[in-house]
Amino acid sequence: MSTSQILKGILEGCLLSIISEGETYGYEITEKLNNRGLTMISEGSIYPVLLRLKREGLVETTKKQVPSGGPKRKYYRLTEQGFEELEIFKEKWTVISNGVNQLMKGD
Amino acid sequence: MTWNYQNGARIFSKNLRVYLFSSGKNEHEIEKIISELEDHLMEAEKDGKDVEHLIGQSPKEYMEQLAGEMAFDLKGLLKYIPVLLIGVYAYILLGNAVQGGIEYSLLKVIGDLTIFIIMMTLFAGSFKYVASHTLSKTKERILFFLLGSIPVGLFVGLMFLDKTVDTPSIEFNPLGNAITIGLCILIFIAISIWSKTWVSIIVPAILYLPEVFLRMTPLDKEIQMIVSMVIMFGGLFLYFFLVNKQEKIR
Repeated sequence: MSTSQILKGILEGCLLSIISEGETYGYEITEKLNNRGLTMISEGSIYPVLLRLKREGLVETTKKQVPSGGPKRKYYRLTEQGFEELEIFKEKWTVISNGVNQLMKGD
Repeated sequence: MTWNYQNGARIFSKNLRVYLFSSGKNEHEIEKIISELEDHLMEAEKDGKDVEHLIGQSPKEYMEQLAGEMAFDLKGLLKYIPVLLIGVYAYILLGNAVQGGIEYSLLKVIGDLTIFIIMMTLFAGSFKYVASHTLSKTKERILFFLLGSIPVGLFVGLMFLDKTVDTPSIEFNPLGNAITIGLCILIFIAISIWSKTWVSIIVPAILYLPEVFLRMTPLDKEIQMIVSMVIMFGGLFLYFFLVNKQEKIR
């Protein structure tokens, strides 16, 4: 199984969590993922997920002028529904990660 | 595959635009995602990262992933297809009217439409393929040459079929032909204004005008044909050469 397949569903949860910390934009999201050591994700793979989150109404976007000039930048923010989805993900993730951890330790 | 940053980024956004457009995605949505990715690439450049950081190993896979999250834009497509269809029929009818009068059979009406649909599908597929794969210029040219010769083959085939199979047909009288020519010219002008390009006026003009003018000269039929062919191919070549040059300057 490739890393990208394992990460696909998880990435959605990670993005919800990062965006819940406050309004942010694409490149900053990838930096935050990198800072947490999630470097195996190619940076671009967040954009299809962001498109999906937007379509499902879990995030909303605003365009803002960048201080350094240039074209406007798209910022993401969680919606009410996004926060709810994040809670659901957290619960599921706790169960899954506990189980997988136990298996991997060879209990 | 190695990417020279600026080139890589530019080629990638160009290819992505072609890929998404050929996949029938909404133009506005395409521009939105591309401007977001370009913003990302600009930031990444400041950190010394290249395009591969963004798209990973396979441009094709990445383009598919993005396309998979974008809806098929039927409404947008319904805007373009009738215009294209009218343009193609105007082009065919003008050709017939100029070359000695329109005679249109039911088989030809259906056949032309079928060829149109086949070609649209083939072109969209080929654009998607070329945009998502790294092909050499030669391979790309061969592909588009083959693609260009398919409709010629299909039209010739249809012509022969039309001669052997008898279906109801109509023949236009001189007035009908004249009206059709006028209508077709109006359509080309309208499409030119709508699409804000000259191509829908220039190409039919290069293809048909030499023949019309040559017929007024006392030249031999064969010589007329040869001269009009030379002007036609020379004109097309010159036109596309100039367009290409202009694009490069831009």
